[in-house]
Amino acid sequence: MLSQRFLPWDYGVRNLFRRPMRSALTLGGLTIVILLVLVVVGFIRGLEKSLSATGNPHVVLVYSLSSAADVENSSIPARTPSLISASVEGVSRQQGVEFVSPELYLGTRISTANMTEPGMGLVRGVTTTAALVRDHVQLVEGTWPQTGEVMVGRLAHSKLGADEEDLAIGQQVTFDGQTWTISGHFTAAGSAFESEIWAPLADLQTTLKRQDLSLVAVRMDSPDAIADVDLFCRERIDLELKAVSESAYYASLQKHYKPVRMLGWLVVALVAGSGIFAGLNTMYGAVVGRIRELATLQAIGFRRRAILLTLIQEATLLACAGALVACVVGLFLVDGAAVRFTMGAFMLKVDSVGIAIACGVAVLLGFVGALPPAVKAMRMPVVEAIKSI
Amino acid sequence: MSLVNVTNVTKEFANGEETIRPLDGVSLSIDEGDFISLMGASGSGKSTLLNLIAGIDQVTSGQIEVAGTDITKLSRGKLADWRARHIGYIFQTHNLIPVLTAYENVELPLLLLPMSAAERRKRVEIALEAVDLTSRASHYPRQMSGGQEQRVGIARAIVANPTVVVADEPTGSLDDETTEQILHLLERVNNELGMTLLLVTHEADVGARAKRQIRLEHSHLFEQGKEIKTAQLRMA
Repeated sequence: MLSQRFLPWDYGVRNLFRRPMRSALTLGGLTIVILLVLVVVGFIRGLEKSLSATGNPHVVLVYSLSSAADVENSSIPARTPSLISASVEGVSRQQGVEFVSPELYLGTRISTANMTEPGMGLVRGVTTTAALVRDHVQLVEGTWPQTGEVMVGRLAHSKLGADEEDLAIGQQVTFDGQTWTISGHFTAAGSAFESEIWAPLADLQTTLKRQDLSLVAVRMDSPDAIADVDLFCRERIDLELKAVSESAYYASLQKHYKPVRMLGWLVVALVAGSGIFAGLNTMYGAVVGRIRELATLQAIGFRRRAILLTLIQEATLLACAGALVACVVGLFLVDGAAVRFTMGAFMLKVDSVGIAIACGVAVLLGFVGALPPAVKAMRMPVVEAIKSI
Repeated sequence: MSLVNVTNVTKEFANGEETIRPLDGVSLSIDEGDFISLMGASGSGKSTLLNLIAGIDQVTSGQIEVAGTDITKLSRGKLADWRARHIGYIFQTHNLIPVLTAYENVELPLLLLPMSAAERRKRVEIALEAVDLTSRASHYPRQMSGGQEQRVGIARAIVANPTVVVADEPTGSLDDETTEQILHLLERVNNELGMTLLLVTHEADVGARAKRQIRLEHSHLFEQGKEIKTAQLRMA
């Protein structure tokens, strides 16, 4: 039995430095490919996280039956919250306060002091109970908005296309003919609320000259209690209400973005495919220049699979180095970058899943890129290969 | 019993529609400790015969037995393992691995054999000393002259103490002075280490340095102008 059938690890590593310029160019190409993969995966992951984090299974949204799934088009009577409180068991309450949040929600053109053109933003009129129902909303700076004031989510500037400084505390925003002073900033654990602007409900109703609501968000003691709200809506056909759990509501929105996600994965596949061609090109070049050397190794007694393995090692090492550089660049430049979409804005997410996918793509690039040229070289008869120049 | 027995070996190549047969029913025996030079005109099949004995080419028909093993029956993988244990190959163009130092090049064949790192180190040092290149152990091939490269190639061929050392035109790319050094070294490998050596060359003065010179012409082997048979070779 032979003790060691493989070529030394150093052999593969040193070969990468044999043609430094070619290796550097390949490394650059692979880094860009893997970075692109990381960006697309970051996009998909960020979008998914934003929508999944927004839905809370304990919260039920009550809105107009005729609005389909778009709460912006919903209009329900202002008395709906009190009717729900009076009719439905299982609504969370604390110290006599029921976790029922009447809300007015609209998309409107909003301008800041430095914006030449107003941008499309999302405004939610809320009362203080909104913070009880949406418990992941946290005021991180400033105060809860009083009359003539708003508080803004940390991604609201991205949704508007404004500078972050334009939405600093004390700055003003204008929408629907009214100027509002920013009183505070809030976060919402990466959910879609972070791209919204929250105003006092009464003020917003006055500004919009509306008496109605868009929706009522109710926090229930348990997800099972949502059925009671649903029953209430079915019984009160005069109100024309619909009850959907918040998680189901945003899950249905995720379905709308399925084609986007599919397109994203397709882009990942196409980008990875182009990377494989880059790898193939490099490895063909590397192998063609070493036909005689590889034949010499066979003549010495190294098996073809050992030589195959060292060629794959070289390509995979290079691709993994590209993945490392791409991940570092991605963590610094891509992670947290805000992206606008119709539901608001979300952050690109370079997380463990994204990094694992990038590393997986890198290994695939190395393996698939090296295999055909290596196999081709190994198929050449040793006596012919040994004489090649 | 001879160390190498080549029996009725034929080798054919396809060249388009034409079939080339450089070897047709060739038989040859080599005893342990022989130093044989195999000469012949270009295309006479001398390198083909050497490659068949070295196990890097396969016969069309016939049998080659080396140290009791019929290598024509071995699979490709087993043949690779067999080469690692039994063959030391010296190439015309040295064929050193450019990214490995002289030491590492010499060590390569030993990586395929069951031995400790200390034993490997000892053997490589002895081999490098034998070719007088201890001081160049850490040098890469590009940092050495052609003669030095070939000496490293010889050290690599002998380091595993193979059954047969084969050399295909080992001085073909060297100047006269270096050729003399290499031939002297090959003589020492044969005389002092007792290794069996089969050398292919087209240069008569190089071939003359071997203990026995065999000429291959149209698949017939001649020694001292007379066609020889396997039995005669064995007796010599």
